[in-house]
Amino acid sequence: MGLSSVATVNEMIKFSIFDLRRGQHEGQELDKILFFFPADLPFATQLSVIGLSEGLITFTRIFSPEAACEVIEAEGHSHVFYEPEPDIWMVMIVEKSKESEAIWRVDALRRVLKEVHSLFVMFHGAIRALLDKEPGGGLIRSHLYSFIMDYLGDFLIGKKLQLPNFRDSLKERGTVQMLTVGREAAIEVQSLVRVLESCAGNTPCYSLILFQDLLVSTTLSPEDTINVFTYAVLRLTPRALSSGVSSWSYLRKGSVSSHAAPGSISANPGAVLEQFYHSPDTSSGGDRNYRVARPLQHDKWTKGNDGFLVTDIWNAEAGSVVPTTPTIWLQQTEERMCLCAFQHRNLTLILLIPTTSILNREQGISIVKQQVLENASLKIFKVEEKLSKGWGGENAYHVSGYRYLLVDGDRNVTRASPPAKVTTLTKESLVALSKLREEVDLEKSQAKWVGPNCEKDLEICIRAKNNAWVIARVTRGKELYMVLEKANETLLYASDAIEKFSDRYCNGAFSLD
Amino acid sequence: MFRKASSSQFSTGFSGSGALSHVYIQYPPLRCSIPGARGLFYDDGNKLLVSPTSDQVFTWKTSPFAPLVAPTSFPVNEGPIISIRYSLDAKVLAIQRSNHEIQFWNRETGTTFSQMCKSESESILGFFWTDCPTCDVVFVKTSGLDLFSLDSEWKSLHLVETKRFNVGWYVYTHESRVVLLASGMQCKSFIGYQLSSAGIIRLPRFEMAMAKSEANSKPVLAAADVHIVTVYGRIYCLQVDGVAMLLHSYRFYRDAVVQQGSLPIYSSKIAVSVVDNVLLVHQVDAKVVILYDIFSDSRAPISAPLPLLLRGCPRVATSSSQSISRDAETLEAKDLSDTEAIVYGDGWTFLVPDLVCDAANGLLWKIHLDLEAISASSSEVPSVLEFLQRRRLEAYKAKQLCLTIVSTIILERRPVSMVARAIDILVTSYSNSIKVGSYLKGTKAEKSSPSGVPQTNSSGTVADDSTSRVDASGKSVKHESAGGVHNESMNRSLTFSALDSEDNASIEPQKTSSGDLHSLGGKMGVETHSAGVHQSTLQSQLLGPGDNPLNANVTDHQESQVTSAAISPDEMYSFVFAPVDEEMAGDSSYLVAVIIEFLRSANLEKIKVHSNIYVLTIQLLARNERYAELGLLIINKMLEPSREVAMQLLESGRQNIQTRKLGLDMLRQLSLHHDYVLLLVQDGYYLEALRYARKNKVNTVRPSLFLEAAYTSNDSQHLAAVLRFFSDFIPGFKSTPDHNTYCRVLAEMNSSVTA
Repeated sequence: MGLSSVATVNEMIKFSIFDLRRGQHEGQELDKILFFFPADLPFATQLSVIGLSEGLITFTRIFSPEAACEVIEAEGHSHVFYEPEPDIWMVMIVEKSKESEAIWRVDALRRVLKEVHSLFVMFHGAIRALLDKEPGGGLIRSHLYSFIMDYLGDFLIGKKLQLPNFRDSLKERGTVQMLTVGREAAIEVQSLVRVLESCAGNTPCYSLILFQDLLVSTTLSPEDTINVFTYAVLRLTPRALSSGVSSWSYLRKGSVSSHAAPGSISANPGAVLEQFYHSPDTSSGGDRNYRVARPLQHDKWTKGNDGFLVTDIWNAEAGSVVPTTPTIWLQQTEERMCLCAFQHRNLTLILLIPTTSILNREQGISIVKQQVLENASLKIFKVEEKLSKGWGGENAYHVSGYRYLLVDGDRNVTRASPPAKVTTLTKESLVALSKLREEVDLEKSQAKWVGPNCEKDLEICIRAKNNAWVIARVTRGKELYMVLEKANETLLYASDAIEKFSDRYCNGAFSLD
Repeated sequence: MFRKASSSQFSTGFSGSGALSHVYIQYPPLRCSIPGARGLFYDDGNKLLVSPTSDQVFTWKTSPFAPLVAPTSFPVNEGPIISIRYSLDAKVLAIQRSNHEIQFWNRETGTTFSQMCKSESESILGFFWTDCPTCDVVFVKTSGLDLFSLDSEWKSLHLVETKRFNVGWYVYTHESRVVLLASGMQCKSFIGYQLSSAGIIRLPRFEMAMAKSEANSKPVLAAADVHIVTVYGRIYCLQVDGVAMLLHSYRFYRDAVVQQGSLPIYSSKIAVSVVDNVLLVHQVDAKVVILYDIFSDSRAPISAPLPLLLRGCPRVATSSSQSISRDAETLEAKDLSDTEAIVYGDGWTFLVPDLVCDAANGLLWKIHLDLEAISASSSEVPSVLEFLQRRRLEAYKAKQLCLTIVSTIILERRPVSMVARAIDILVTSYSNSIKVGSYLKGTKAEKSSPSGVPQTNSSGTVADDSTSRVDASGKSVKHESAGGVHNESMNRSLTFSALDSEDNASIEPQKTSSGDLHSLGGKMGVETHSAGVHQSTLQSQLLGPGDNPLNANVTDHQESQVTSAAISPDEMYSFVFAPVDEEMAGDSSYLVAVIIEFLRSANLEKIKVHSNIYVLTIQLLARNERYAELGLLIINKMLEPSREVAMQLLESGRQNIQTRKLGLDMLRQLSLHHDYVLLLVQDGYYLEALRYARKNKVNTVRPSLFLEAAYTSNDSQHLAAVLRFFSDFIPGFKSTPDHNTYCRVLAEMNSSVTA
């Protein structure tokens, strides 16, 4: 826990959130900083980082008022920009380094920013709203601080923050992984969904069903589905509950094990981070007097005797001793919902009930829970049994010979080779894939400017230095990335391989010609 | 005496049309009073009502029941008549003249002969005709059974077999083919035989239980207290125990007679009818009837005791009824008098299975179930549906009621679980009806069932059905239970099945198309069925051409087309989901939930669902903009892919590009190349469309569409490429006007670029 390690981390990653509508007068510059990581950096450094970003934003806005700066690639660093709410900017600065693992894909980093913001909004509401609530900024700062520190704790490997790098090229953050189910099981699941949602009487409810870390059914809008799914995989699924160690879905698990032995990870990474960057509340302008619920805190969820998951996280907010039911905001309807999670073996059911429809919250929720136990138990058992029977295990979606990532952009669904299989790829292949994806990201973002409904078909095949084929194919909103190592050398072979894969696993979506 | 009784009973027994009842008799009755008649006899073998006078025998056909049917007459010799029965082919008439003599007439030749008892010590209790292969007629005598066969010239009887035991009295119904012989001091020890076309089966000897009253420690069982009933093809014996006030039931198996529990009775006089497999226990003194559906183990009555209603009767003492005076020319033209209108009058005789003969007034009534009233009286929707699904006589009405009930509970937004149970019952019932082939539109609702032959008409296919049923009947319990629970020992009831008679086939072949009734019993006896067919044809011969118009009329009626109350997925759509959707405005999630339950049910029973239900589901989800869920249903193939579904997705996807893509993908996966290419072009993806068209050899889409699309994209290179494509791959394209037009257009585009 020496200072030296802190120093290296500090140099690796900086992360700030600032509000361009604040601190526009000399002497009030500090006011614009809402969050800065590492928090123990001197204000002068913080301000200089933010100043550069602000300058660039202001400059690029001249040419593109709608969408200003996206990224700065400096020699030693990449600055990734994201504007989640008008005039509120998130900037992440990562150091580039050839010899270490620090080879980044900008879009992957931006997705991290996007994810932390979406999750924050889901639990606490928009940043701007909190700022409006308390213009002093103490409220938002304390919320952001605890939330983001908890969030970053999940990236902690050993004592080091490990953001997604080229090794994660066969993954896509901010998407949902789905379980493939047969028709019969699907019908049973849907039947269960209806029963579940009828448990709250005539109130329109939403539900999400997961099997292990895979989504089975949702009635939420796509964006809300991603958020709730992400949170569930982080903290609610059986794996998240049992390990105590966070895992970014089962996809992430592989990379965790590949980088560090699980034993070396502290039981509460959030705490480790705080130790490192011993939160200088005063310096960041935060105020510890705020009661802040920390939904991403570790080991706070437990499975109750009745099968429902309980937590005392929200007690902090309400200040009560009895566990308070968590609430979240839905993006689409902007409604506040009570979150009820039930777990039976590998099956996790999340029921969202509008807070407005429940007068006495805790009492109302317990009635709903009772209803769930009475009406849906049987179906839950049946569905769990059925899905378990059909479940092919960790490597269910492995296709031998292929390392792939399949992205359905329309539905925000991805499927990929199991992480354990991805780790067998060489560094060269993965770096090549990362580069290739960067290219595709560029093409995609350019296509977006041409027209929203013009989806280009795209196909790139690269022969990497290690003679692996690295392939990307994009067609009408669907993307397929693939690495074929130890493959035949002809392009025809690679193209055939894609064709076969497309026909067998993608209903021929990628075999247009 | 009658008149006295009437005044007091009028209010209770006959309380007008508005009265609550589940069972009714329909006015007008069949009038069968002949001047000089010497009583009324019922020949249950042929379902004939027979009324002899001194020199003639008048005969009314009671099946199908037609009140205005004219009697046929046949001259006979003067003499005492104890009982009278036609042979099953109706060619021979037998009249029991005394305890020792039965006289036979050949109706064709007019020749007669008599059969006498051999010894004076025995006397004939009665006789019946049988379709047993070894004999034709059976005499029941105090000393046992004599089985005779007619000789080939019909001039004498030939004794085939004699079975010796002392007989006190006997009960026989042709419907069950079972004769029960009572013996012993108390007449409670029984021997039974079933003489069916499958052969003779002897039932094990059994005793009936009787409670002893204080006054009489050895009560004697009377013939009137024992009833043989046939319900769902199973044969029961019901025994009235007047002391214990219980109706004991016994079920006959091939190798056993099993006590089945007892029903309470509330009257010292009990009569029993069976209408459409529903057991009616008439509490004659109390003037009410209790209904039991003895299908499952439950012995609970269907509903509360209610009186039997006389329906459609023009008010007593109004002017003489037109219809009667016109048509019943052999009768006195008179309306129902007060005495005749008495329900459960003293003169009432209950005939097997569902007729009531008012011998005093010469009236024959047929008992009907009021399905509407029964279904309205119970709030237990699932059990009502089960009950209705089991009805065969008024299958059309039962079906309509089922549809109404289901629509109503959906409109009332009852809990989905409850609706699901109701739907389960209907789907299971449909599935069963498909299996046994009784659902007429079987061809429409494809389904892999053992019997591929949809039943079209009564006679020929009955035999077919039964054969196919033999294949199927071994395996499933559900088979026998049309939408219900049947917990009895399956094995034994099946082995006994040959004993179950096929009589249903001969009850009303034209009306019920018979096969269904059998199916419930899960019978195996193929021969039995063919015999039944044989009989029904004979019967129509006997009854002559005069009946044909009526029969034809019945067959034309839609009821006859509906032989079971089963509801197909198509009908669910057009009579439940579609109308309900129209009525149910607003949030569609409830209806979606119901449809999903329906799909679940159909999937369990492996019934194919027509795409119109899927299309409706898509419309409902799209209406509420629940596209994510819709996508899930499509991807999991819960809504099975079809062109209709794809087109609906494209239509609903106008507001949601993802949904539209699902529709396009579905077209591609279904290999509907033409539609797919066309839509790609329409969406502006003309290059992709061209590639796809070339790969899959689609040449039905006009080149001008591609060219137009390329032109509107304002890309001269693309336009040139498209032009080149068609020039290369379509022979003769260069000489078409399209080619010339777009060549010119291309030249203009290029010149404008260069300029």
